Amino acid sequence: MEKMGVPAIPMCTRAYTELANLTAARDGMPHLRQVFTPHPVGGKTADELAAYLVNPDPVSGKQIMKEIIDDLTVPLTPDEKKTGMQSIAAGPPTFGPETYDSLQEVFMTNGMTDYLPIIIPTEEKVEAMLKGTSHSPDEVLRKPIQGVGYLAAQWGYTVRQVAVNAVMAGCRPEYFPVVLAMASVGPLGLFGSTTSSSSAIVINGPIREKLDMNYGLGALSPFAQSNATIGRSWTLMGKNLTNGGIPGDTYQGGQGNQLDYNNCVIAEDEKNSPWPPLHVQFGFKPGENVVSIFGGPDIRQGHGARGAGAEMAMFDQQISFMCQSMVGGDGVLGILDPLVANRLVEQGYDTKEKLSDWVYKNTQRTVKDFKESFLAYFHLYPLALQGREPYATWYKLPDDAMIPFFLSAKQINFVVCGGQANAFFQIANMSHGRSVSIDQWM
Amino acid sequence: MKVNRRKLLSLLGMSPAILAGSRADAEQKKKAAAGAASEPKYTAVSPKGTPPAVQLYSMAPRLDTLDGKTIYLVDATGFFGSDKLLEKMQAWFQQNMPGVKTVFRRKAGIYGADDPKLWAEIKANGNAAIMAIGH
Repeated sequence: MEKMGVPAIPMCTRAYTELANLTAARDGMPHLRQVFTPHPVGGKTADELAAYLVNPDPVSGKQIMKEIIDDLTVPLTPDEKKTGMQSIAAGPPTFGPETYDSLQEVFMTNGMTDYLPIIIPTEEKVEAMLKGTSHSPDEVLRKPIQGVGYLAAQWGYTVRQVAVNAVMAGCRPEYFPVVLAMASVGPLGLFGSTTSSSSAIVINGPIREKLDMNYGLGALSPFAQSNATIGRSWTLMGKNLTNGGIPGDTYQGGQGNQLDYNNCVIAEDEKNSPWPPLHVQFGFKPGENVVSIFGGPDIRQGHGARGAGAEMAMFDQQISFMCQSMVGGDGVLGILDPLVANRLVEQGYDTKEKLSDWVYKNTQRTVKDFKESFLAYFHLYPLALQGREPYATWYKLPDDAMIPFFLSAKQINFVVCGGQANAFFQIANMSHGRSVSIDQWM
Repeated sequence: MKVNRRKLLSLLGMSPAILAGSRADAEQKKKAAAGAASEPKYTAVSPKGTPPAVQLYSMAPRLDTLDGKTIYLVDATGFFGSDKLLEKMQAWFQQNMPGVKTVFRRKAGIYGADDPKLWAEIKANGNAAIMAIGH
């Protein structure tokens, strides 16, 4: 609005002071006049909110309505009228020379690690990592773009800058094409929303064997260097390459997410799966090496089927049951042990698509439950107002009408991994983001 | 004059064993300093990406007065209570500055999304906007 010539006052609660000011600065108006109310606004009565307006802004100390009137009428200062380009410093290109332990301390205290010891990225180690790809170190994967959106500053990065983070994570050079493929996707790890969402990373293709990835017993636990460090690099890249993961600025996750340490790297067990692997479903050839990024709030354990002890224990019903407690906006990534996958084939699901379709059709909720969900109220009701379907129709239905939990069967994906110790599975409340070729980064 | 530190300490009622302690301390510090000096040093490459340069924009000229003007009160994100807060603001203007016309609107789309139709409406019909962003 300001750029359109209309004076506009953004107003939010004091909890977002730093983010609001940083966003204004990144968008080119560092002196934007903003008003802050006490926190929170949500949950307050009408009278309490009325009182907010005649009491001081907790940041400026000025009475809020007077502040608003002044902000709209007091003439601009010279600083507020400034135009032109302003450069931002990224910090020094190197650190040291220091001892190894001192450098660990420097990296940690400057917010460049996940608070676990790193491999110090010396020039020699970075050069060794760069041998893992044929791409030029100066190749730009992402250009810097002036900030839009409220989460990450739009920093850019090169192959070399990705290599530095891969070294820090403990990756070997042969893992580097996977890390580059991930970096080419963006946005990177440490998703900054208040939802504390995280990521899952699925790897398909022969590269799983080449990198000795674990997709058997303990597939999701720390039992392979490749699984562990590839996942770790996603978080370090999120912190360092795009200036993410700064609490109060580019990270607002209220409680955070344990998955952020490793981002649930899943190498699919293509050999023991009764179905085509995930990347083939997304249009890649079986022999291609592909990484797929998923994002969402959580993973929960499935632990067997409905009707345990019965002759025909029903895994499809257990999967649907697990989905009932999901957020509903994000999709599903079912992570099935081969025992579960094979049992589902016996149940009649000779393709993953049939299973996705069944889960979609049989996982439902009432319109009332939908309307009362956080996601629907904040994200989907505004879309319904715009006439976007199916939300516009759903909001017109009676409260007891049943509607699908998910938007389509395409939101529901499955991968197979696990050591066949028991017929267990896990369900991630996560949506598919993108799948990209690793081969192009060799 | 050379001072006999042992005798001096005894005269002060302190055990000369202190001397042994302080000597051990000093020797330990000397060893640590020597160790640090001999410990290899490294230069590490920064893992940071490249920030964008920022284009600065001038803010919009301010109004001479709010009297007779139209102010849009925009619920920009739909978070809990935003609409109630803006209703109270509308009531405040009605009571305290009746010469100001206020128009309440909820921005379409989710909180990050643009609403060009609304912006065009405000530009055409409004003089200022107050936007409740959250939370």
